[in-house]
Amino acid sequence: MLMTNLNVVGKRVLRQDAYEKVVGGKGFPVNFSLPGMLHGKMLRSPYPHARILRIDTSRAEQLPGVKAVMTPKDVPQIPFNPIFFMPAGSMGIHRDMLILSDTVRFAGQPVAAVAATTVAIAEQALQLIDVEYEELLAVFDPEEAMKEGAPEIHVGVKNNIRDTPSFSAGDVEAGFKDADYIFEGTYETQRVHTCYMEPRVCVSDTDSNGHITIYSSIGHLFGLRERMAYVLGLPVSKVTAVQAPYVGGSFGSKIDFAYIEALSALLSAKTRKPVRFEHTRYEDFICNARHPMKVHLKTGIKKDGTFTARYASTLCDTSAYSTHGPEVILVHAYFGLMLGYRSPHMKWEGTVVFTNNMPGGAFRGYGAPQAAFAVESQIDEICDKLGFDPIEFRLKNTPRQGDPHPFNPEWKLNSYALDECLNKGAERMGWSQRAKTGSASGAKKRGIGMAAHPLWVSGCVGFPDIYEHSGAIIRLNVDGTAYLSSATMDIGSGQNTTLCQIAAEELGLAFDSVRMAPGNTDNLPFDAPTHASRVTYSSGNAVKVAAADAKKNLLEVAATVMEANVADLEVRDGMITVKGSPAQAMSVADVVKRAESPFMVIGAQGPAPTTLKEKGTIMGISSVAPPANASPAVAEFVEVEVDTETGQVKVLRAVYAHDLGRVVNPAAAEGQVEGGLQQGIGFALMEKMLFDPETGACLTSDFLDYKMPTAVEMPSKIECIFIESNEPTGPFGAKSLAEACLIVPAPAIANAIYNAIGVRIRSLPITPEKILAALGKL
Amino acid sequence: MALVKLKEFCIPESPGQVSACAAKYGDNALILGGGSFIHGLEARGLLSEVEALIDIRKLGLAGMAATGEGVRIGAMTTFAELEKLPELASAAWLGALKDALTYPPMQIKNVATVGGCIAASCPFFDIPTAFLALDAKLTVSGAGAKREIGLAELFAGLFENSLEPGELITEVRLAKPAGRAASAFIKLEGTANDLAIVNAAVRISVDAAGVCQEVRIALGGGVGDSVVRSASAEKLLLGQKLSADLIQHAAEAVGQDISPMEDHRATAAYRLAMAKVITRRALNQALSRLN
Repeated sequence: MLMTNLNVVGKRVLRQDAYEKVVGGKGFPVNFSLPGMLHGKMLRSPYPHARILRIDTSRAEQLPGVKAVMTPKDVPQIPFNPIFFMPAGSMGIHRDMLILSDTVRFAGQPVAAVAATTVAIAEQALQLIDVEYEELLAVFDPEEAMKEGAPEIHVGVKNNIRDTPSFSAGDVEAGFKDADYIFEGTYETQRVHTCYMEPRVCVSDTDSNGHITIYSSIGHLFGLRERMAYVLGLPVSKVTAVQAPYVGGSFGSKIDFAYIEALSALLSAKTRKPVRFEHTRYEDFICNARHPMKVHLKTGIKKDGTFTARYASTLCDTSAYSTHGPEVILVHAYFGLMLGYRSPHMKWEGTVVFTNNMPGGAFRGYGAPQAAFAVESQIDEICDKLGFDPIEFRLKNTPRQGDPHPFNPEWKLNSYALDECLNKGAERMGWSQRAKTGSASGAKKRGIGMAAHPLWVSGCVGFPDIYEHSGAIIRLNVDGTAYLSSATMDIGSGQNTTLCQIAAEELGLAFDSVRMAPGNTDNLPFDAPTHASRVTYSSGNAVKVAAADAKKNLLEVAATVMEANVADLEVRDGMITVKGSPAQAMSVADVVKRAESPFMVIGAQGPAPTTLKEKGTIMGISSVAPPANASPAVAEFVEVEVDTETGQVKVLRAVYAHDLGRVVNPAAAEGQVEGGLQQGIGFALMEKMLFDPETGACLTSDFLDYKMPTAVEMPSKIECIFIESNEPTGPFGAKSLAEACLIVPAPAIANAIYNAIGVRIRSLPITPEKILAALGKL
Repeated sequence: MALVKLKEFCIPESPGQVSACAAKYGDNALILGGGSFIHGLEARGLLSEVEALIDIRKLGLAGMAATGEGVRIGAMTTFAELEKLPELASAAWLGALKDALTYPPMQIKNVATVGGCIAASCPFFDIPTAFLALDAKLTVSGAGAKREIGLAELFAGLFENSLEPGELITEVRLAKPAGRAASAFIKLEGTANDLAIVNAAVRISVDAAGVCQEVRIALGGGVGDSVVRSASAEKLLLGQKLSADLIQHAAEAVGQDISPMEDHRATAAYRLAMAKVITRRALNQALSRLN
């Protein structure tokens, strides 16, 4: 049963950093500086595929103000994979990147770096570095890259095929034979960028013992430490990563290493000065992006609307380096394409291909937005063709509460309310009044569409070789407040506020009485990265355990001081009382004061000893992982208006229904939904990174050329329906929210467009030109 | 890339000081209006030769006035200030300007100036297209005498104007057309923060019998190096009794006067098709304002 007598969890609290951020955000890493700091810049290759024959840095070195120049020969040639959530030496990842390499595999890959007294001098110095390249043939299309005779991008990787993962269950061929109908289609998605606001930035400082301290805008403190140590060939204890109070957005992008972190450390070691790097927006754009995927999906259906077989294949352009490719395609397959819907027979085959494109990276949803576009579009096609109600159809083929978890049958879907998401969302949107496809009249036609995502994660418990444990430290102060320390990075979604709410609730303190106290990798317990929708569920769980530990210690001291039995005490709103006799009360502040007081206390009667039993800072600690990986469930309904003369699409209204177990902070939760919809509208309708077809150079270098929806393109009405199913393994019943908000919008919009104009677009973004072409008007 | 050759940032307080700075740097001096476009140009390496920036905010060129004959707008009037011109709310003949001012985001409106957006000679802007349909006249002053030019004479090419070094636009004048006139403007945009894919502005005067007495049709946004008038479309309408068919026919004719370009915003084919659609819509919008 959902606990209802909560004081802090479930309340619409104001983010502790809200005011500070709107006045400039001193805590953003981009605002961090150290005295005497140098500024680093990277020289980037204009060629997408080349060998460096010679680099002459002598002219650059002579420029006044230049303190150090680095080329591939000056940096450790230790191959690495930049992703933070797996151990640096994991068997599960390919290590094929170098800090600086004499082989260039994408246009914009750094080939040299400079540290100078000013940014302008560093930029000027780059112009003075002479590089002689041997240009190699490049390939940008993954299908071309797989052909015989295509340029070899990594030595020994035949046909540029990095990986070919697959899985199957049952006999898919037999399943298709059993089918009354078979639907088949190919669905393509484009390369899009997360467009976080704060650029990637770091400052490294090296002391005389060679110990490196790094301040960075990254989304995983311990991952940064681990990768820094790995690529520099140092033990992790020689690197300290310092936590920023908050980071200006990541959306997944910042859970891996860029080039700047290691370069700043190396340049700092060489110059004995702190060295700062800050990406330009162009550098951020080419740092990483969502993997473009081409999904072929084939589904067998019985007349009653149940699946008999599902087959899918996915082609993933992992780009110039492996990075996330081999991992993202698995999440895409299991949690995006296949496991959300039941089918007796399933088969999936993936291909991860190298090209000379810029690196792929993590982006909110991690392979699932590409998958959901295929799956949810095709379900809409099936329902339209066979006359099924899309909601009943989905309910017929999705898991139910209490079912074994499709990914790991040892877990159960303890809390799972997809049916409520679908039904309540449909009711709010007025689904039953939805017009027949293409029946609208006039030049501007309206349509309603929906998409669901039946299975997703609350972290990475159960995934091989992916970090998942979290830790927290709670310390009580003599004024009755508490400090919470956690290595979780608040990347802008309000994680710190959520964790403080969980701590306050467990401790029996007011929300304002708990403050997040940032730390560093020297004094914080490990935490996994801020990704995989995990913080509320997983870090939240660790915070709750630490808070419970602190509360136990608090009540033990209180019991001694109050001469009461621990079991009889309770704490609420900062007051400790004996159950049933509220007159016997003591404030948390007074209890902590006693615990922190000197051993001998001077009272009215003179000095008197206190007891040893009540002495010492009252603290709680934890380092745990949750026992399961709870699945949220989600359905989104949108209404669009399509201008059939211009092809332009407006999203007029969205209703988002999500089973998140328990809402911790409704304001933050709504923010997640709105931000996810905005990124989803961009993915669905307009965003696309563009590249020069000859040189592979990125052409979308700022927001004049890269189209993101603005406030004007957002629907004026976004309605959230949060379903609180009370997940027993989550803190106060909570499970995840974040990524699902971006998984469903694109197919929901595509389906609404179909409902409006009767035209199905199977490649994103659905541009006005594609719509007009499909309508036969262009 | 950046303003690598920048040597001086001049803030003149008199026209003489503008001339002095301009004389020193010639073609390599750039006059700043609101400065809203400079980042976009700079980021694309288009300002690498600029040695001096001349900030003309202290010349007192902001302000506007309406008379029975029309409207005068100081070159340094921002879009946000211009929006407050009372006549915009009521005068049908100014409809195109009113429409065009609804598109820029607030950040642009607060800094971008009327003179700057014209002098930039950027065909992707909105206000110049509206001004072209409104027959805007410019007062230009330099080291010597003032001169008056029509807006079309200013545009010399993509990002190029016909001003001499040291010359600047001081005022824009819009004369009220005779008879029953109305105007309208439409921008087709990817997002509200983006430049136009295509835009169209029309002004039309119609007599009591519904016969077109005068018409201006202007197009911008990737339909050529400069904002252009469509003589072909205008010719079809002038002196004719307006009908839905005729308007459709005239809108189709704009294709003869534009050279749509292909870029990441749109293909040339899409621009061509859309120029026709929004011209028709703008004509209909203007006509609806006559009633």
